[in-house]
Amino acid sequence: MASWREGVAPRGQGVRLSIRGRTLALRGLRRPRRGLFWLLAIVGPGLVAANAGNDAGGIATYAQVGAKYGYDLLWMLLLISFSLAIVQEMAARLGVATGRGLLDLVRERFGIGWALFAVGVVLLANGGVTISEFVGIAAALELFGVSRFLSVPLAAVALWWLVVKGDYRRVEKVFLAMTLVFFAYPVAAVLARPDWAEVGRHTLIPTVRLDPDYLLLFVATIGTTITPYMQLFQQSATVERGVARRYYSDERWDAYIGAVFGNVVAAFIIIATAATLHVAGQTEITTAAEAAQALAPAAGPYAQVLFAVGLLGASLLAAGVLPLATAYSVSEAFGFRKGVNLDYRRAPIFIGLFTALLVLGAAVALLPGLPVFGLLVAIQALNGMLLPVILIFMLRLINDRRLMGDLANGPLYNVLAWATAVVLIVLVALMLGNMALDALGIDLFGAG
Amino acid sequence: MLSDLVRHHVRDAQGHTARLGDLAVDLGAAEYPVVMRLLVPGDGGAPRALPCPATLDPAQGLVVEALDAAMPLDADALAALVLLRRDVQDALLLDLAQERAVRANDLVLAQRGAGLALVGADVSATAVLRRLSHGLLRTHGPGSLLDWREVEFLRGTPGAVAAGRAYHRRVTRLHPSQIARLADAVPYLHAAELLALLADPLAADVLESMLPERQVQVIAELTPPQATGILAEMAPDAAADLLGRLAIADAAHLLETLPPERALPIQDLLRFPPDTAGGIMTNAMVYAPVDRTVGDVIAYIRDELAHPDFVYFVYLVDDPATRRLCGVVTLRELLLADHATPIEQVMTADLQVVGPLEPADAVARRIADYGLNALPVVAADGSLLGIVTVDAAMVQILPVAWRDRLPRVFS
Repeated sequence: MASWREGVAPRGQGVRLSIRGRTLALRGLRRPRRGLFWLLAIVGPGLVAANAGNDAGGIATYAQVGAKYGYDLLWMLLLISFSLAIVQEMAARLGVATGRGLLDLVRERFGIGWALFAVGVVLLANGGVTISEFVGIAAALELFGVSRFLSVPLAAVALWWLVVKGDYRRVEKVFLAMTLVFFAYPVAAVLARPDWAEVGRHTLIPTVRLDPDYLLLFVATIGTTITPYMQLFQQSATVERGVARRYYSDERWDAYIGAVFGNVVAAFIIIATAATLHVAGQTEITTAAEAAQALAPAAGPYAQVLFAVGLLGASLLAAGVLPLATAYSVSEAFGFRKGVNLDYRRAPIFIGLFTALLVLGAAVALLPGLPVFGLLVAIQALNGMLLPVILIFMLRLINDRRLMGDLANGPLYNVLAWATAVVLIVLVALMLGNMALDALGIDLFGAG
Repeated sequence: MLSDLVRHHVRDAQGHTARLGDLAVDLGAAEYPVVMRLLVPGDGGAPRALPCPATLDPAQGLVVEALDAAMPLDADALAALVLLRRDVQDALLLDLAQERAVRANDLVLAQRGAGLALVGADVSATAVLRRLSHGLLRTHGPGSLLDWREVEFLRGTPGAVAAGRAYHRRVTRLHPSQIARLADAVPYLHAAELLALLADPLAADVLESMLPERQVQVIAELTPPQATGILAEMAPDAAADLLGRLAIADAAHLLETLPPERALPIQDLLRFPPDTAGGIMTNAMVYAPVDRTVGDVIAYIRDELAHPDFVYFVYLVDDPATRRLCGVVTLRELLLADHATPIEQVMTADLQVVGPLEPADAVARRIADYGLNALPVVAADGSLLGIVTVDAAMVQILPVAWRDRLPRVFS
């Protein structure tokens, strides 16, 4: 035995292994992380996807819910967290087991027609949402007196630089850092001094009203909480993250934690507005900026600042995530090379599409007289049409053992997943049906 | 075109017709895969297979001898076949001439003798439009047809290689860096399958040039004998990096099953934490005893020079057992010096060294600042543990997007 080998004894802990009868201390091996470090290493696409949903439109919806109905809809958020967690985890699992995005799989299994339909909806809906994100950025910074003609282009350039010039790891870290702003909402909610016993009661005990406005808001909230791009992004980003199938069991927690965190944030938005605006009788809120402004008299200037910071962070995050999710999906459907790690030379369509969406979103957001509300309604309808399609395809793919191997759905999971899918599909059908009737001038529920 | 063919019914000499379900090909045939069987729907939905001699009538579709000669297929036989519509259409193909991964949007069949053969694929976007429009749009760009002789077809299941399924294996004639680029362009399951098709030394080269996360994904999909074989052919520092990313049980298992002479250098490297000099060094350097002449040293290292890794420096040590570092000499100096000169007079004795637990970033900056090609890593007693080469240092400092563009000079 060469003596130089014996002389080497680095201090400190190492993983102790017995190889061929000899015990070695190998510090180069990966000791599994525990606790907070484990958590920080695991979270990624799930947290980003779910929180990108708490964007300007989402905040407006939740603020509306809280202002109009107080804590009445909190029970629904609890149930939705389960549904979203299940659906997001399936998307992550599909990504890890196949190494491909959802529209790629759809194209291969169900034909190019369905993939094209999905691409069309994704382009239109996400394009529209991107516009509304830049409107949100403009509105948030206008609260601090910054002109939109400065804030919007700067934001667009910053996001472009981050994604195009960065690698996936760095982009993920920055997006995750942006989700820290969402801690503003629990603080704002606490500052609003709600009655926590009331909150608890309404979370655990359902309140059902047959009021048509209630039902509409119920369905709209679900639509804003589970949007198809979340599943698409979860799968695509998990693919780019490069998780090995063998090591999936840890990774699934990213999807669960993300979904729960996103909905907890939504709950705090509702609590914040319920404890201030609803209690004060201010029940009609239509934009997030209105909500931020309206909080000031009730909860002091800090609540307003926090809300505004939350809005800015959320809009920035979503303005980055949505064009990225769209670029991923379109590239997958047509088989173009994609990835944040790649540059323009190697993935021209992916980078080009991402850039175009950012530019378009920023440019249109700067146009005066934009029918924001109409835009948001149209987007909701588009997403409503796509969600059942995505869910059913996901469920069929994830039960295909040839595709998934041992990561296919087990029977219990299938029951939960199908139940979730059916409920969501029924609710979306209700929403679309009502929208259609509305458009035709028929008022079925007497909502007025 | 396959999409045109399936729109017509299959006919036989007696005038019976049946819908064309699918076509089974034999990938093992010489140039172009031959269509072995036609599948037509049977009673109760299970497909039945016809042997294929068939004639292709462009206007009217396929004509066979007798449709009632079709035999039912069981599920296992069906799963083992390569079917054009189920498996090949819309699947990923490797275009070896242009070194890219493409989708087979449509397939081109031609009459070959008594039967049919798969001669090419249409990889253009217009093929998609043609399929969607059910043949109303007729477009044929000249450059869009991929000759099947330039194609490597991957199934997307790494286990298929070990299970003995047929492959063209044309990809093995490409250069490792070309194969690595192809492996990057496909999902990780296809990359694992691609790796399984290659001989171990070639596969090791390709695996070493993949991104770290991709390496873990791919090695986990190979069978243990395949993984061990490839790992044994990798450079020790690349293998140690890879093992350091696996779960402990998997790494331990691989270390146990590797041949001892390959496992030992890897274990030596794994003693050190990843972000230190010991963690980024390689121990596959060339060294020789210092008490020799130039001619003796050249003879001593002759075997090492036959190894495919690049050698630029030869390190001089007092004794191969204690390995205390005395100096370094370049290959150039060795060639220029007179063979009878003692190596001590030719070598550079005063060299920079670094300890194994020095932080990797500091070491990398030192290499960059002093323009070194390699920095020896020595233990407290002066024994040579390994060297940190300039490309390892660059990998440490540069952003991820640049790393796969570096030339691998010292590895």
